[in-house]
Amino acid sequence: MASNPVIRGLYQAANSSASCPALVTTLNGNILVNHSDEQGEILFAPAGDYQFGDAVPGLPVELIFADGSRFIPDDSRLRWQQLGHKPGMIEWLERHWSAVLAATLLVPAFMWLMITQVIPAGSNAVAGLLPDAVAQQLGSQSLAIIDRTYMNPSELSDTEQQAISQRWQHLLTTLNIPPENYRLEFRSWSGGPNAMALPDGTVIVTDSIARLMAQQPEQLDAVLLHEIGHVEHKHSLKILSQTTAMSLMFTMMFGDVEGLGEVLLGAGTSFAQASFSRDMESDADQFAFKELQTIGRTPQDFADAMKTLAQHYQPDAELAAGEEKSLFDYLRSHPATAERIAAAEALAKEMLQ
Amino acid sequence: MSPTELPVPNTAATSTRTATVEFSGQKGEYAKLWLVNLLLSIITLGIYSAWAKVRNNQYLYGHTQIEGHRFQYLAQPMQILRGRIIAVLVFVAYSLASSFNPALAAVMMLALIALFPWLIIQGLKFTLRKSAYRGVRFSFEASYWAIVGYFFLLPLLGMVTFGLAMPWVAQKTQKYLYENATYGGKPFSVPTSAAEYYKAVLMCLGAVVLLMAAIFVIVFTFSMTSVLIGDASNPLTQKGMAGAGMVIGAAVYFFAIYLLSAIYQGVIRNHLFNCLHINGVFHAHSAIRILPFAVLMMSNALLLICTLGLAFPVTVVRKQRFLAAATSFTLEPGIDHLVNTVPETHSAFGEEAAGLFDADLSLT
Ligand SMILES: [Zn+2]
Repeated sequence: MASNPVIRGLYQAANSSASCPALVTTLNGNILVNHSDEQGEILFAPAGDYQFGDAVPGLPVELIFADGSRFIPDDSRLRWQQLGHKPGMIEWLERHWSAVLAATLLVPAFMWLMITQVIPAGSNAVAGLLPDAVAQQLGSQSLAIIDRTYMNPSELSDTEQQAISQRWQHLLTTLNIPPENYRLEFRSWSGGPNAMALPDGTVIVTDSIARLMAQQPEQLDAVLLHEIGHVEHKHSLKILSQTTAMSLMFTMMFGDVEGLGEVLLGAGTSFAQASFSRDMESDADQFAFKELQTIGRTPQDFADAMKTLAQHYQPDAELAAGEEKSLFDYLRSHPATAERIAAAEALAKEMLQ
Repeated sequence: MSPTELPVPNTAATSTRTATVEFSGQKGEYAKLWLVNLLLSIITLGIYSAWAKVRNNQYLYGHTQIEGHRFQYLAQPMQILRGRIIAVLVFVAYSLASSFNPALAAVMMLALIALFPWLIIQGLKFTLRKSAYRGVRFSFEASYWAIVGYFFLLPLLGMVTFGLAMPWVAQKTQKYLYENATYGGKPFSVPTSAAEYYKAVLMCLGAVVLLMAAIFVIVFTFSMTSVLIGDASNPLTQKGMAGAGMVIGAAVYFFAIYLLSAIYQGVIRNHLFNCLHINGVFHAHSAIRILPFAVLMMSNALLLICTLGLAFPVTVVRKQRFLAAATSFTLEPGIDHLVNTVPETHSAFGEEAAGLFDADLSLT
């Protein structure tokens, strides 16, 4: 290797503001720093005894010597190829619009992968690992909140309650579900016929759904099985960990971008949640279908229950497929009811053959 | 070779001289850097944001020079990342606690509030210790209770006096913060006066009065014109006028906001910088002209709105250029003989804690 041309710059002392114009000569990876006014040598650094500063667009790459002193070249494009220094990957990316474009395309693809695959899988795994105490705590807390805010003690008579409790017990024993994991609660709710499951296995039945299905108790069984399905699949815990993971992801991804972060967080989380809850409803439906067969009945009970509910909420509505808009509030977050009914009936028919 | 052996640099430089601040960042160049770092941060779930912060600051500091010496940003991404991981853990712990154990969450909240003054100090300390000029670092020291006083008690006083004391509070607080910053171990002096802060507020009030008068004149001329045309009672004209009035009102509001903040910030920045000095080392000067400053702030805001924030790097470069052009320094011989007193790291935990709270004196 031959001697390279002289490089002009500034020699900056370590730990003091002293500096002077200097010239650097490189030879076989060794560096010689001289005063620019030919007053002699400042220092000699053998190969390996110095480091390169970070390469930043538009700025020179400094040489950093063992004692902390630095040589800062005047030429801001200098990247020290003559010393075998390779330009950094990051700086290359930062200098090219093509990198900006590629990354711009990569971001939505990456987010799609996270929202549809990674986060659901990850939070399902986490939900499985959470100790039982978490579900208990969450369940009793939600029940307390529900009681304080929008539900009242049941007005059903003891006989009405007992009739349902007996069928409930019967369901649990026939299905070999440990009864101590579950608890049936009755509440009066102005919102109308409904049932809901809490993470600790508490299933709430509203007075109006009990009365609505009093004459068709097998329909209420189907609804209860759907709710048990939610508990067995740990859906509440999954929703909790998915929501936490989603908001954490958006905060981490866009936390630094002011304004934009909040908008994306809101839109992304609600979009993802709508899709989670659709999947969970159909999981709970499948559970109900399967267990109805176990106890010797067919998914037709579930279809009938859905029809009864639909009739109640929207007596005039034609349950035409795809008519999601005309459907009732109660099922707003559920898959189109017509589809669920169709699925149940198709399975019931299959069984008859 | 130790620094003491270094022959004194050229003799011409050890006299008192005036130097301008030069900012050499380019809009397109910085936009690419900013975007690539932003996108890398996004696809690494924010992990890269620690590196992104360092890259952005390296660019902005490195492109700022006085007398041909570039500023340096010396923080290590790993330090920032550790701080951010702690911040995320605290956030996760807090949100878990608030859904499972509200009492624990309340205790955590109280602890965070109690830590807040300390976090402000650590944040400022971190930013300043990682900033250097001519190989000499800045630093910051402050007492916990002083921060409590300046950030929590004095603002209360401001509220009790219906804001009358606020300019005085702002002056006291900024003076305290700047005078606890050091460069090469020497503290800054900032003999600001509260009168200037009141002057800035009065100028803002004056501007408000002038704007109101202007609006009145415009509205008056408008209605006179329509009366003269003679169809003021025509509902269509009325509708059109109401629409025009709304647009003009929004424009005036937009204009007023940036004009007022340009007046306040410009006056205060000029005053602060014209007071800022270290005896024998430097005196700072700032000569921001209010109207061009207001135009800059307004056009930057418009750029951000029209590009949904993507023009951010362009606005940063425009602002840095403007501020650099308005700033100069009288450098005294002492600047050539400073010794760095700040070691590479301070208390290990303090550096991480700085990540919880990004604080900046905004010296530029
Ligand atoms: Zn359901």
